[in-house]
Amino acid sequence: MASLGPPFGELATKTLRVMKLTALIVLIGCLQVSARGYGQLVTLRVRHAPLEAVLAEIQKQTGYNFVYAKIELESAHPVDLDVHNADIQQVLVQCFKGQPLAYTIEEQYIVVKKRPVEPSVQKSVSDSSKPRTIDVEGKVSDEKGEALAGASVSVKNGKEGTLTNEKGVFVLKKIPPDAVLEISFTGYKLTEVHVAGAKELLAVKLPLANNQLDQAQVIAYGTTTQRLSTGDVTTINAADIEKQSVNNPLLALEGRVPGLFITQSTGLPGSGITVQIQGQNSIANGNDPFYVIDGVPYTSQLLPGLSNILGTSGATGGYSGNISGSPLSYINPSDILSISVLKDADATAIYGSRAANGAIIITTKKGKAGKTKIDFNLQQGLGQVAHKLALLNTSQYLQMRHEAFSNDGASPSLSNGDYDLLFWDTTRNTDWQKVLIGGIADYTNLSGTVSGGNANTQFLLGGTFHRETTVFPGNFQDQRGSFHFNINNVSDNQKFRVQFSANYMADDNHLPTTDLTSAALLLPPDAPPLYNKDGTLNWAPDSSGATTWPYAPNPVNPISYIYSTYTNKTSNLVSDAVFSYLILPELEIKTNFGYTNLQTNETVVNPQSSTAPQNRSFTPSFGVYGNNNSNSWIIEPQVTFKRMISKGKLEFLLGSTVEQNNSRGEQFTGIGFSSDVLISDPSAAAETVPLITTVSTYKYNALFGRLGYNWEDKYLINFTARKDGSSRFGSQNQFHDFESAGVGWIFSSEDFFRKHFPVLSFGKIRASYGTTGNDQIGDYQFLSSYSTTYAQVAYQGTTGLQPTSLANPYLQWEETKKLEFGLDLGILKDRVLVNATYFQNQSSDELLGYILPITTGFNSITNNFPATVKNFGWELSLHSVNIKGKLFSWTTAINLTIPQNSLIAFPNLTTSSYANSLIIGQPINIIRAFHFLAVNDTTGIYQFADSKGNPTYNPSYQTDLIKVININPKVYGGFQNTFQYKGVILDMLFQFVKQIAPNYTVGAYPGPGIEGENQPVSILNRWQESGDNKPVEKFSQNFSLGSAISYYNNSDASYSDASYIRLKNLSLAWQIPNEWVKKIHVETLRVYAQGQNLITVTHYTGLDPESKSFSSLPPLRVITFGLQIGL
Amino acid sequence: MLPSYKIRLTYISLLLFGFATVNCKKWVSISPPETSISNANVYDNDNTAIAVQTGIYSNMMSPNSLTGGGIIDMSFYPALSADELTLWPGNNNQLYSAYYTNLLTNQNTSYADFWNAIYPMIYVTNSAIEGLNASTNLTPAIKQQLLGEAEFMRSFCYFYLVNLYGDVPLVLTSNYLINATVARTPQAQVWQQIINDLKSAQSLLSPQYLDGTLLNSSAGRLRPTKWAAIALLARAYLYTGQWSNAISEADSIINNNSLFSLDTLNGVFLASSTEAIWQLQPVVLGWNTPDAQIFIIPTTGVSTQWPVYLSTNLLNSFEPGDLRRSDWVDSIAIGANTYFYPYKYKINAYNASVTEYEMVLRLGEQYLIRAEAEAEMNDLSDAAIDVNTIRTRAQLPNLLNDIASSQSSLLAAIQHERQVELFTEWGNRWLDLKRTNTINAVMGSPGNAYQNKANGYWNPDWQLYPISLSQLQHDNYLVQNPGY
Repeated sequence: MASLGPPFGELATKTLRVMKLTALIVLIGCLQVSARGYGQLVTLRVRHAPLEAVLAEIQKQTGYNFVYAKIELESAHPVDLDVHNADIQQVLVQCFKGQPLAYTIEEQYIVVKKRPVEPSVQKSVSDSSKPRTIDVEGKVSDEKGEALAGASVSVKNGKEGTLTNEKGVFVLKKIPPDAVLEISFTGYKLTEVHVAGAKELLAVKLPLANNQLDQAQVIAYGTTTQRLSTGDVTTINAADIEKQSVNNPLLALEGRVPGLFITQSTGLPGSGITVQIQGQNSIANGNDPFYVIDGVPYTSQLLPGLSNILGTSGATGGYSGNISGSPLSYINPSDILSISVLKDADATAIYGSRAANGAIIITTKKGKAGKTKIDFNLQQGLGQVAHKLALLNTSQYLQMRHEAFSNDGASPSLSNGDYDLLFWDTTRNTDWQKVLIGGIADYTNLSGTVSGGNANTQFLLGGTFHRETTVFPGNFQDQRGSFHFNINNVSDNQKFRVQFSANYMADDNHLPTTDLTSAALLLPPDAPPLYNKDGTLNWAPDSSGATTWPYAPNPVNPISYIYSTYTNKTSNLVSDAVFSYLILPELEIKTNFGYTNLQTNETVVNPQSSTAPQNRSFTPSFGVYGNNNSNSWIIEPQVTFKRMISKGKLEFLLGSTVEQNNSRGEQFTGIGFSSDVLISDPSAAAETVPLITTVSTYKYNALFGRLGYNWEDKYLINFTARKDGSSRFGSQNQFHDFESAGVGWIFSSEDFFRKHFPVLSFGKIRASYGTTGNDQIGDYQFLSSYSTTYAQVAYQGTTGLQPTSLANPYLQWEETKKLEFGLDLGILKDRVLVNATYFQNQSSDELLGYILPITTGFNSITNNFPATVKNFGWELSLHSVNIKGKLFSWTTAINLTIPQNSLIAFPNLTTSSYANSLIIGQPINIIRAFHFLAVNDTTGIYQFADSKGNPTYNPSYQTDLIKVININPKVYGGFQNTFQYKGVILDMLFQFVKQIAPNYTVGAYPGPGIEGENQPVSILNRWQESGDNKPVEKFSQNFSLGSAISYYNNSDASYSDASYIRLKNLSLAWQIPNEWVKKIHVETLRVYAQGQNLITVTHYTGLDPESKSFSSLPPLRVITFGLQIGL
Repeated sequence: MLPSYKIRLTYISLLLFGFATVNCKKWVSISPPETSISNANVYDNDNTAIAVQTGIYSNMMSPNSLTGGGIIDMSFYPALSADELTLWPGNNNQLYSAYYTNLLTNQNTSYADFWNAIYPMIYVTNSAIEGLNASTNLTPAIKQQLLGEAEFMRSFCYFYLVNLYGDVPLVLTSNYLINATVARTPQAQVWQQIINDLKSAQSLLSPQYLDGTLLNSSAGRLRPTKWAAIALLARAYLYTGQWSNAISEADSIINNNSLFSLDTLNGVFLASSTEAIWQLQPVVLGWNTPDAQIFIIPTTGVSTQWPVYLSTNLLNSFEPGDLRRSDWVDSIAIGANTYFYPYKYKINAYNASVTEYEMVLRLGEQYLIRAEAEAEMNDLSDAAIDVNTIRTRAQLPNLLNDIASSQSSLLAAIQHERQVELFTEWGNRWLDLKRTNTINAVMGSPGNAYQNKANGYWNPDWQLYPISLSQLQHDNYLVQNPGY
């Protein structure tokens, strides 16, 4: 029963309540209601029921919304109905038979109004007093009857317009009695209401936008829709995030957002993730987007830690040391409502200095008014390495080794360490990939939320437990518990609002210190078993007691890493409070207080048991302990002013940011433990020695503004500006200004297009231009700082100091100029939406570690890069509702990005440090390579072309790097299909990338034949005797051909196609019909199966074309099953 | 909501808003972090100024092995390049292999790249010299000593650079704008700078060994003194053929009996050595010198971790009865093979008390410097006396008369004496072979040490190490050494 919004007076409320109650009783008494999904058929049997109640029931069954003025319905007669699966049209005719009311169906809503009075009658009643204009008062609410403040109401084809106040009420004066009002509000369907002479009260309920165009998109300091946006924003909603079994929300974006390229470093939980929006602006550091979670800026890089096993999240700006993992893995994906990716100047310039690489805004779930809902989601599954490399088996390996000896004219000898031929059991054949990375990882995700509230206060409480194990042998796992809390309150007068949200996660990641992938690829297949029969580690000692395991650089049984472990315990809090107050209907002030705290405690232990026997007396057991804390607070006061000016809606925002980040990291080592058991406790160490301490503070201050004007939803214009100050710059250059302009023209709203191109339901062209910047450099780079030298024993009892960087007092802001054009088209009532965007980002004065020769004392200086880099390309997307039937629907979404990168200017390039690595007109991350000719058919050694094209064995790195290889993706995108049949939804997302990458065809350095290194089977296609024409050179058992393979790895031959199409995500869910689940007293029940990285089609010769690594675990194939219960 | 509350709320909101909208320049100015000191203040204070210099010595000893990349690796890689060490065939370290087989390229010097290790030290000394000269707040005696130490260290760095690479860029400022585009300076000019710096350092440095405060004398000879500057100057004169200068510098050390005297063979490398002119203190907890850790082969034998041992060529160079052969060389038998290794530093056990210091400059070498300079000046009798002083300690008889009476045979005897006295110490052998122009004969002729190393081929260009490619690429004015 919610067809009417709350009326204005107490009396009216009471009247209505009584009415509703009566209607309800009548309905219960004589209704036979069959519950069913939304359709257009009605089944209803009522006798003498109020029209309002009947309409409400029809609304419930069909999904149509009725729009009417309460007062008008008072004159309605009661209704008798008896229909079964009747068409709505037919039912409505019966309902309105003989009523003083008329209705019109307009898409999803039905407008009910007074039947026009016969002119003759009217004339006789009030001929002289007939008003030429009337004043109309109305109230706008959402489907649940909650007031929508700030909705714009304007007269179609007229000049008058206004906004609703905090109670959703609007007053329009002196408008024609036959006017049609257009009411719009972000995230809701644009709705037209016929005034039809009604003066008093129109209760308009806006239906939520269910089409792509009108769904709310979160942007910087506000919201918009795809329809009205002048910027380039893509939003991914909870529905798409929840379909994916991922431990990092960024992974849920892969393949879904045009212009966004994501690379996962490893398949371990907590992996580093590189994110690039519209290409690589900066040659070195500072390519990360700006992350904002619930209005609070969030770090894009973690502090230096004790291990790099998790892989990097892109180049790490300004900090040295092991920066691995992704800070976003401490944000629980299932708490997220939406992720908006902001790309162009119009969308990002208001973030000023920090959004040169785009911005990613994460909004967490909020409570909704209504009955308290409890929701559980239980998910369980497994992960595994999807693809293994074909490596030599023992007989092939031995053949390779013997051939290598014979090629070198040498013979194996035990005293030279040829254990694999002379000491080990050469009848053994182990698939080390299966043993070391072939395990099954468990995947568990359990979450529960409670949400609810009333019109004034809504809350949401959620908790998630997540656990993943690894594919390595041994007891490694990542366990995380997270908590999400949100509360909103609005005062009775709707003027004062408070919002608070907190996201907390505690993560305990327990991993080996070393990724076993490289050992899995390199261990000879005849290597001894990992364990002795008694269960102890097998060190396979030779006669003198030294281990014969070959694993370089130190001989180690790879499984010993099970004892030498890395533990990372991280807790993360992101919290935000927003207070807002509506001073005037047009003017709101708002202040946002955010606080984040990221605390990491790490331990690396090296017990004696993980050390080879011969090294134990020299290698004491030791532990390394690290604590990192990084916290930040932010205050952002804002004023917004909204007003109709003529027929346009003006929105003005003025705000300010004060922010401070504090980081502190300490590492120390503990040496000498009486027992390996005590090793994770530093206080049990005989000695503890401090390693490094890093402390830094970052302060940031800004003033920003935005001015938007929207003329009749036809002409859109938007200006933003920001003045930024950052402590990362010297006193002369602390402040800088950034600005942008965006314009849009919804040409489909023009009469010309409406008339001549009726098939075109929506058409918009937009353009934006502006500047953004970047201060992703370490703190204090303008200072030349000294830090203490690392020494466990102080020299002469005193601590030393060493300079850590060159000072650059000339540091200044970098600037990226972004230009973008977009075309949006909606065809067939927006069933097909097409978008084409051309972007062009030009970066200059980029901040980066400018490479220097070591004669300056350092390898780089944080500097403004003198060159100009252009990223340009096309983003195309298509969203199509192919079939939308009562039972079956099918939608398709495709996105495609064609990026290009080019160095367009570099003054004095030829004399700079970059003379040999950059070329004007080429991408900034090109690889300059030798040109591979062939294996010399006489000598069996790789030959390359020198600069004159003549064959050579030893090409020069100075003159012969004649090939230019572009490793940037040429095209990437995603292809998604969703099929729904009744309650069953099947969703599949294919991700595709066209690129080239280093391959593994000729094996690992220093080439096939060396002791202790297995190789891929592709090396069997090698040169053996004079006259052979083969792609792989002859085998050798020493380093004599090491330089040849180095040249090969730096040649065009080692780069080959690594394009791939991947079934990134498959999700099959069944919403069990309500009538079934009601029997077990459950509101909703959904069962589902999900798969991640299921199938990859590629020619790439490596473990995975995404991570492209031969030493880290590839992204896993994860398959899960789940159950979602709503109580 | 009560009206008064409402008003209050409005005020609070406005206040908050107003507070934060002030664009405050002060707000974004930060002071340096508590953990670091900046160029601006490091030379304002005695302690921090001293700490910069101490940091150099501490860093020299910091990598916990001799092969960790740093100037101290001079005792390891040049010995591999020369005829002193043999690399185990089962070795899987391609860097060792590249140095050993003299097949260095502009790519494979990897972390053991002396160019990359030394120039950052030069930057510290240059900025120290600038900072100290500009400073007005330091105790004058401390300032003087620190200036001397900085100049000494700068010349120490250039000494190794010019010997390893030939012409090298002479960088004398901390300004990166200048230093980023430097070309090579002719060797003679670099030598002149080394000598000038050492002369200046000699006059600035304290004649007494000082502790970490530079205010008190110290038993440990852990900071460069006037004597260190003189010792290195004597060496520089020897390398540049300024014989009489070399003699007079060596004289002043050898004549300083109260400080310096030849120690017993087993006492030379101890912390208490009376022969030490300058030593470095180990800074890794639980360990003595890195030399002992890398050279002494444990009972489990040669392996990828201990892949080097003394070459038969060096072992055969010891005369019968040479005490250095038994005191400074030890061995381990594994099956049929016996491996001999340098045993100058003897303590490789973890957690043994620290009794050995890393010897950088010592009196024994000064005798040999003086002997060589005297021989070159045809003062054969004095030369023979100096050589015999060293031989006597090794319980060897004096040089035979027919050797001592001919300049060429005496010079050859002195080189031989240097080989067995200074082996695996600071690259002496590699540098001696080069400066005496015997390197091609020793490394290149058939049947010599080199035959055991690789394919029996020697290119005279290899006596200079290559500059790594990245450096050539980042400084366009640099030119590679021939042969790479």
